[in-house]
Amino acid sequence: MEHNDSTMQISVAHLKKRSRVAETMQLRVLKQAPSGYTLSPVPDSGWSAAPSSRRIWVSRLVLLALLVIQAGLSLRLQNTAFEDEALYLFAGHAEIDHLLHGTPLYGAFDSYFSGAPVLYPVLAAAVDSVFGLAGARALSLACMLGCTSLLYAMTRRLFNERAGLCAAGVFAVAQSTAFMGNFATYDALALFLLGLAAWIVVRTADSHPLLTLLAAPVAALAVAVKYASALYLPTVVLLGVLTVYQRRGLPRALGRGVLLTVATVALLGAGLYASGYLAAIQSTTTARAAGTTPSWTIVKDSARWGGLAVAVALVGAFSYVRSGRMSEMPGWRGALPGARWRAALGLVLVGTALLAPAYQLHLHTEVSLHKHIGYGLFFAAPLAGVGVTRLMGAHFKYPQWAIFLGVVLLSSGMSQAYDNFHAWPDSRSLVATLRPYMSAHGTYLADTYEVPVYALGKDTSYRQWNSTYTIDYTNRSGQHLTGAAGFKAAVADRHFTLIVLDRGNPTGESTTVREALLHSTGYRLIGTVPYATAWGTSRFELWAPS
Amino acid sequence: MTGPHRGMTRPRLLLLALVGSLLVTLGACAPPAPQVSSAAAKAQVASPSAEAPYDIRPLLRPDRKYLGVAFNGSPRTTAPVTAFTEKAGKRPDLREYYAKWGDPFQADVNRAVWDDGQLPFLVWEPFSHTAAQIADGEQDTYIREFADAVRDYNRPLALSFGHEMNGGWYPWGSKKTSAADFARAWRHIHDLFTDEGAADVIWVWSPNVINPVPDVRLKPYYPGDAYVDWIGVVGYYALSGPTTFDTLFGPTLKEIRRFSRKPFLIAETGVQAGERKPAQIADLFAGVRARADMLGLVWFNLKKEADWRIDSGPLSLAAFKKAAADDSFGVDVRKP
Repeated sequence: MEHNDSTMQISVAHLKKRSRVAETMQLRVLKQAPSGYTLSPVPDSGWSAAPSSRRIWVSRLVLLALLVIQAGLSLRLQNTAFEDEALYLFAGHAEIDHLLHGTPLYGAFDSYFSGAPVLYPVLAAAVDSVFGLAGARALSLACMLGCTSLLYAMTRRLFNERAGLCAAGVFAVAQSTAFMGNFATYDALALFLLGLAAWIVVRTADSHPLLTLLAAPVAALAVAVKYASALYLPTVVLLGVLTVYQRRGLPRALGRGVLLTVATVALLGAGLYASGYLAAIQSTTTARAAGTTPSWTIVKDSARWGGLAVAVALVGAFSYVRSGRMSEMPGWRGALPGARWRAALGLVLVGTALLAPAYQLHLHTEVSLHKHIGYGLFFAAPLAGVGVTRLMGAHFKYPQWAIFLGVVLLSSGMSQAYDNFHAWPDSRSLVATLRPYMSAHGTYLADTYEVPVYALGKDTSYRQWNSTYTIDYTNRSGQHLTGAAGFKAAVADRHFTLIVLDRGNPTGESTTVREALLHSTGYRLIGTVPYATAWGTSRFELWAPS
Repeated sequence: MTGPHRGMTRPRLLLLALVGSLLVTLGACAPPAPQVSSAAAKAQVASPSAEAPYDIRPLLRPDRKYLGVAFNGSPRTTAPVTAFTEKAGKRPDLREYYAKWGDPFQADVNRAVWDDGQLPFLVWEPFSHTAAQIADGEQDTYIREFADAVRDYNRPLALSFGHEMNGGWYPWGSKKTSAADFARAWRHIHDLFTDEGAADVIWVWSPNVINPVPDVRLKPYYPGDAYVDWIGVVGYYALSGPTTFDTLFGPTLKEIRRFSRKPFLIAETGVQAGERKPAQIADLFAGVRARADMLGLVWFNLKKEADWRIDSGPLSLAAFKKAAADDSFGVDVRKP
């Protein structure tokens, strides 16, 4: 196209006579007409790629709509407290009583919790005291909405608004996001803190290195809230190194990475030294007991829960490596990061999505995998956003791709989140059945005892309950027994006032206990409470001294 | 237009294949298998408003003694109870009836009995199948369906399988069934009921008094204390044979106490019409009243082979009214 500034001035009065202009779009230098009016200079394009308040507000409005959808997807999930939620909440109440009133702690929570018992459990229990379970879950929703917002902000800085919105959309409808947004455990808060740390390192890439250090306490706090968050610290540091490298070169990037790492590790080390949680971290995180779930099952479920989003992120990564250009402005000639940098960014972000499945494959366990998928998805989502924008093409040339992906991600996310949120039974019937049997002197044994302990509130105390995992029992002849022998002896001695077994989800030594009960003259089955979950039906059995 | 987007290039086709394969994977991935699934479990509908399970333990050893009764025919109608109550002057609190093996459990009938104030006492008669067949699992489907119906009925039920097993007059009796098979069948039925969650059953092991079969030992027929709640002894005051509570029931109770401490119930009794009947009615009630480990009696109010009814004569009826009027008899089964 050939033009200069003078061609932008057209005598409108003469247009009709000069049909050739319309046919060829060739503008010629025209003399200033004595009459008519003058157009101001016309830019290359009818729109501008430069930042504008309109673009900001339109993007924010779209983001707001996504957040509303995300909140709706989370809040539609309704079920009573899961055992982990119940455990953290009643432990939090115990911790608060300990902190405020000096009430002795008996749960040894710090020995087996997968996060510091004095952080999230206390916060959630405080909220629970006022607003109940719904309030504690709303706290998680706020964290997950915060995650989506941070994801948008981070992606916008890494790429552009459209990629940011697409990333937020992919993340907002994922099953893990909907699930964690209505689930009162460490996860939402930990992911929010990780997201905040990631956003800080990206946001401060152009700023003074000390500002980047703001990410260190946030990242350390994320790990303290949930120890497994440490798995994602390298990603945060590498993200910081890459963003700084793009703007300030390798030495400064490496320096900042080292600074951030040292500060975070120092904070964690100090926290670990002060708290003495090392044993718990080993038992729940680094040296977690291996499971027996087949690898294929873990791979299959990982693919079901996050496969499509990660595939779109892969598409985004490949496409981004091929072409780093994100602008649709004709004739745009901005500075582009190099292909190796782009490849490194793609590797870091998409590779992070594989960390949790890989670690759980190593452990052969699927416990919480549906949530942990969400951690990786947060980091892969920016490139999924890029993938969606590339699939749509410039100027929304192929909107059907976004519609197609949106429909599939939304529908699969909704159904998977529903299934995962109904994987445990609604405990209202069980709790109503148990309540009349509660007494101050009762001793109770239960599969998933956490749920009745939490739901029964002041009608019981966690000190009265024993799980089917461990027992420390001294029988009537003074013999000290643990494990299966301890449970058998306790049944023989009619030690428990009530025993609640979950036929659908026997835990620990539950099967041993039931076998002992079946042949016991001291106990009888006094009732069953049926339940249905997304995976089938089963029932709780209540056994009491006959 | 300039830029990297140029329509269906090779990478885009690759991408299409990638996304397509992912969708196929998504579609092919069935949800995980149910943690527990059985036909019976599926029949149970979980609902927060569902009835709480009925805890039958207060019925196992109530403070007062049961005054039960057995009539002819189905327990569906309450008319016999009303007539009996008018004659006896006291409402029975336990109603015994008989069901053949293969009959379905009739929850509505049992519920009507319970609602009328009696504990239903079902005597299950395995005429069609042997104890060995039952013990070996050939009847599991029927037993499980029966147990499911009992569980969903969610009210107390006293249940006796193969009563008078030590006698030789029934197919499940000592002449045609080994004691080991009988005990094995009992335990198997009990286990299946437990497995199905049928918790409201009072298991009544019901031998005949040993007098007519002195050579048959009871212990081999006994499934064990973990499988039995009550020991229901069957014995009648006939014109011939033992004439007192002690001679009629004493030897049997004594033998049973050698292997079990479970409480007794006179699970089926009556006095044959005759001159001794009023005195023997008084003796029966006195014998039941005298023993702390005796839960009560079930009167066989039928005219079958002989007239066992309480009103076989005016003196008999008066004796029964007098004996039953004693405060120690009569359990409010809904508030024991």
